[in-house]
Amino acid sequence: MYKLCKTLTNQEFVIRLSDNASIPFDPDNTDYQAYLRWLEEGNTPEPAEENQ
Amino acid sequence: MTLAVNIAQGASNNVTFRNRIINGGMVIDQRNAGASVTANNVYSLDRWLAISDTSNKWTVQQNAGSVTPPTGFTNYLGCTSLSAYTPISTDYFGPNQRIEGYNVADLNWGSSSASPITLSFWVRSSLTGSFGGSIQNSSQNRSYAFPYTISSANTWEYKTITIAGDTSGTWLTTNGIGFVVHFSLGAGSSRVGTASTWTGTSNVFAPTGSVNVVGTNGATFYITGVQLEAGTTASPFEYRQYGAELYLCQRYYTSLPSQGSFFGAHAFSTNRVISSAFYPATMRATPTVTSASNAYTYFINGAAYTSSASGTTANLYGNLIIDITVTATSGSNGVISLNSTISLSAEL
Repeated sequence: MYKLCKTLTNQEFVIRLSDNASIPFDPDNTDYQAYLRWLEEGNTPEPAEENQ
Repeated sequence: MTLAVNIAQGASNNVTFRNRIINGGMVIDQRNAGASVTANNVYSLDRWLAISDTSNKWTVQQNAGSVTPPTGFTNYLGCTSLSAYTPISTDYFGPNQRIEGYNVADLNWGSSSASPITLSFWVRSSLTGSFGGSIQNSSQNRSYAFPYTISSANTWEYKTITIAGDTSGTWLTTNGIGFVVHFSLGAGSSRVGTASTWTGTSNVFAPTGSVNVVGTNGATFYITGVQLEAGTTASPFEYRQYGAELYLCQRYYTSLPSQGSFFGAHAFSTNRVISSAFYPATMRATPTVTSASNAYTYFINGAAYTSSASGTTANLYGNLIIDITVTATSGSNGVISLNSTISLSAEL
């Protein structure tokens, strides 16, 4: 399971909820590649919270 | 006085940095510091990925079994079978190293000018017979299954294997997977192939008939001094200084320790505090950052507040952006300390 997040400057990334890992939207990052495969399987991440 | 200098460039057996394997001497173990881990598709010693297509069949540990390494070495990667398991057809097991394309680009694989390589290593097993492994490309649709023989049980043996460069297929030459070097501890019937030839068959991890280490409960397989170099001759293992080897590893994985680190911080709101730190190497890709939700303490005016969540990220330029949820006074300035290790991974 993943949760969408945003940095303070509104750059998107995802949190992998199993280990609290922050995964960047970098196509060369293998964790991001795994996240894309997870999306392709029809899964949906939890939405991001608004920046405070 | 005559000074001989090797000025050859590219796919040659250079005096330094000829070994394309990182941590071939099994010295660096940032993640586990010598502890045993179950080899369920996790990185063990730095740069060495422990593959198990079916879970819980072997463990991996730096210097497992505490045997004396080969002369000139102080460490080895030790694998131990956890059961007497017969692989199903699609299974494969073993340690492998994924070499970044930049580090093998000069070999010109996938072209008519592909250079040969020589793989050398020290190996020791409680079993004897015909063992094997493979070289694969990133798509795993080009494979070369290499055999070698272990003649005596529980005895270090030195092996060299020369492999003709692959003139076919796609071999990446930038920051993706260039080569995968796999040492097999077991492979099912659809994961083996003809020895010592290039094939376009997908997912060949070992020659047909290789010993299945995972098939014997308690069987051991130890390896060190792994070197992959250009050419048809194995040269002596290239010893690199510890700091240099560690730095090479930190391109793929690094961590910030929990003890003794403080970073200036600022509260952008009543519950969000930002800080920044630097990590030691330019990584292969923007890294994944892992830290516990309570990994940080924010100190403000002498009071300490533990984080309840973190969205710490990093960029490609050595900068870690610590972003935590913690009780704070908006606009306050303080310091953050680490309660547990933060890890950064840009593995292949």
